[in-house]
Amino acid sequence: MQCSSDYKEVIILSSEQQASRAPLGVGILGAGPVTQAIHLPSLARLRDILEVRHIMDVDLAVAESVAGRVGAHFSTSMEELLADPDVDIVAICSPHQFHAAQVIASCRAGKKAVLCEKPFAMSGEEAAGISAVSAETGVPIIVGAMHTFDPGWLAAEEAWEDLPEKVHTIRSSIVLPPNPRFEDFATEIVGRVPMPDRDSTDPEVIKAMLKGGVMGLAIHDLPLVRRFTRDFASVEVLHAEIARPFGYVISLRAGDVTIELRAAMNATWEPSWVFEAIGNDAALKIDFTPSYVHAGSATAQIRKAGQTTVLGPFGHNGYEGEWRKLAELARGTGRPPSAETLIHDLEFALAIAESAASRFDTARVDAGTASGTTADEEINA
Amino acid sequence: MTTQLSVSADPQAEASGAVSAVVASLPLSFATAAGTPDAGTPDVVAVAGHAGWAERAAEAIRSGAKGVVVSAPVAEDLAGLTATAPAAGSVVVLDQQWAGNVALVGTNVRGAIAGAINEAVLLDSVAVAPPGTDPLHLLTEHLAVILQCGIDLQDVRLIQRSGNGYTVAGVLAGGVPAALQGIITSALPSTASVSILTSAGRADVVLPDPAAAWPAEVRMVTAEGATTLPTLYESSHRTTWSRVHSHLSSGTPANDLARFMAVTSLLSQLNS
Repeated sequence: MQCSSDYKEVIILSSEQQASRAPLGVGILGAGPVTQAIHLPSLARLRDILEVRHIMDVDLAVAESVAGRVGAHFSTSMEELLADPDVDIVAICSPHQFHAAQVIASCRAGKKAVLCEKPFAMSGEEAAGISAVSAETGVPIIVGAMHTFDPGWLAAEEAWEDLPEKVHTIRSSIVLPPNPRFEDFATEIVGRVPMPDRDSTDPEVIKAMLKGGVMGLAIHDLPLVRRFTRDFASVEVLHAEIARPFGYVISLRAGDVTIELRAAMNATWEPSWVFEAIGNDAALKIDFTPSYVHAGSATAQIRKAGQTTVLGPFGHNGYEGEWRKLAELARGTGRPPSAETLIHDLEFALAIAESAASRFDTARVDAGTASGTTADEEINA
Repeated sequence: MTTQLSVSADPQAEASGAVSAVVASLPLSFATAAGTPDAGTPDVVAVAGHAGWAERAAEAIRSGAKGVVVSAPVAEDLAGLTATAPAAGSVVVLDQQWAGNVALVGTNVRGAIAGAINEAVLLDSVAVAPPGTDPLHLLTEHLAVILQCGIDLQDVRLIQRSGNGYTVAGVLAGGVPAALQGIITSALPSTASVSILTSAGRADVVLPDPAAAWPAEVRMVTAEGATTLPTLYESSHRTTWSRVHSHLSSGTPANDLARFMAVTSLLSQLNS
């Protein structure tokens, strides 16, 4: 008996071990270019821990095609995906306006973890509602602020000591080509929707471009900005204008910290994505790799007293970092970002977006038409 | 044959303009006045650019100097000096840490910048200086760079200013946005950068601190690829002294004062 009992116990432990080693199932809501070019290639490198099992998209042909690449189920409804028992982790990659409701539904469906592409809500109230549901259900949520999961950023965070208390100037400078150039390096896109032409002399279009620029592009770096902004709640937009065909020049102040945001999406082949946090005697500079291209992590430099410490590059980027973190959380290990952090990040971004849109300088509107602008959509996941 | 000119410098100009080191690097062109056989009125006088420099320069000219080199000039009224210098047939040359860089003296870089400006979608320029620098003086040096690059900056507005720096917004021709930022820190090299993002690429000029002969970095990106222009290992101090010698040898006038008045005009727009 003892032997049997011992034998039985050994079998049970082996089953648990086997279960813990089995890949977790992933379901993705929204199968657009971000899912196709970013998440699926990232997950393809993590097959030992994660497996795509369900793809949902409102376009049936897209859902079927994308699911077919990974041998997953497909559907056109969120409910069907959430009801799929093979799905442990839900990734929400749908248009912004659906994020909040889908995060809440995923939590209530009893999933093990949720990834929501940024922004995870479009108002502070929505964010608070999500936070309450996450706390009630115990389902951890990660917002897809990929730069905060980038190993280059994380290595810098380990090394920068008291820099956040010293910083007086922050710069985020982004130069990128339109997304399709990089999407096509990563995969073969189906269902690409051409961007509509917009009249960038129309004040309402300009406001939408500014708001979209903040919530779709600057938002990638705003959690980083907030990390160095002690009095983030006091953020004030001093100046905001657009660059054409798409971009922005935004000047902010939060307490005694100056924040400058620059972006231009032109037809360049040479991307540049730089975040800088500068104090009197120490400075951080991080060169991020562009989204979509799976070119490894950022490289960070910390400079002080004539000495430069270089951290990275590392072999994977922040998207893969997100998925690794999700797998940890779904297995009950690791700690998710606090709800307070997610809410404050969102409130910070919303405050800047709303204020920038309301502040733009009509005197700077001139002749010209922006084509291919993506004001109210995700610009560069 | 090179005409050797005698030089004298007040102590502050010597310190800020590294005059002795520069003169030593141009031994056929210059000699310190004390070391010349007939140490009368020096041919060229170096004047420090702190407040009152225009009057000190005018006084040097009235004393017989053929040339005046002003190191790091602050913004001030030049009405008297602009009358005095040409009347005496003297040349006034400004030694500005970035605008005087050899990369901006020739037509090569300025031509490339002009080409980029025609295609510009955004201009982003950053000047960095160590703690202790007056942000207004940093802005003066910064605007001098923009003008020396041949960039026509219009509708300038001061967005913010503090002891840690400033932000200035303006536009290029056609309403293209331009942003100038000054940052005070010892953590980064004292450089001025001008980045012109174009419809299909960019042009970048990074001008070094003249404390050493670091070369400017000039790089152009177009649809065809990237081009880095040749490096020129000469500090702006030495370039400035070469210029004053050239003007005096050839008898050609310098336009430094006129260009500096354009800088002060932009500054006055910001303060109005």
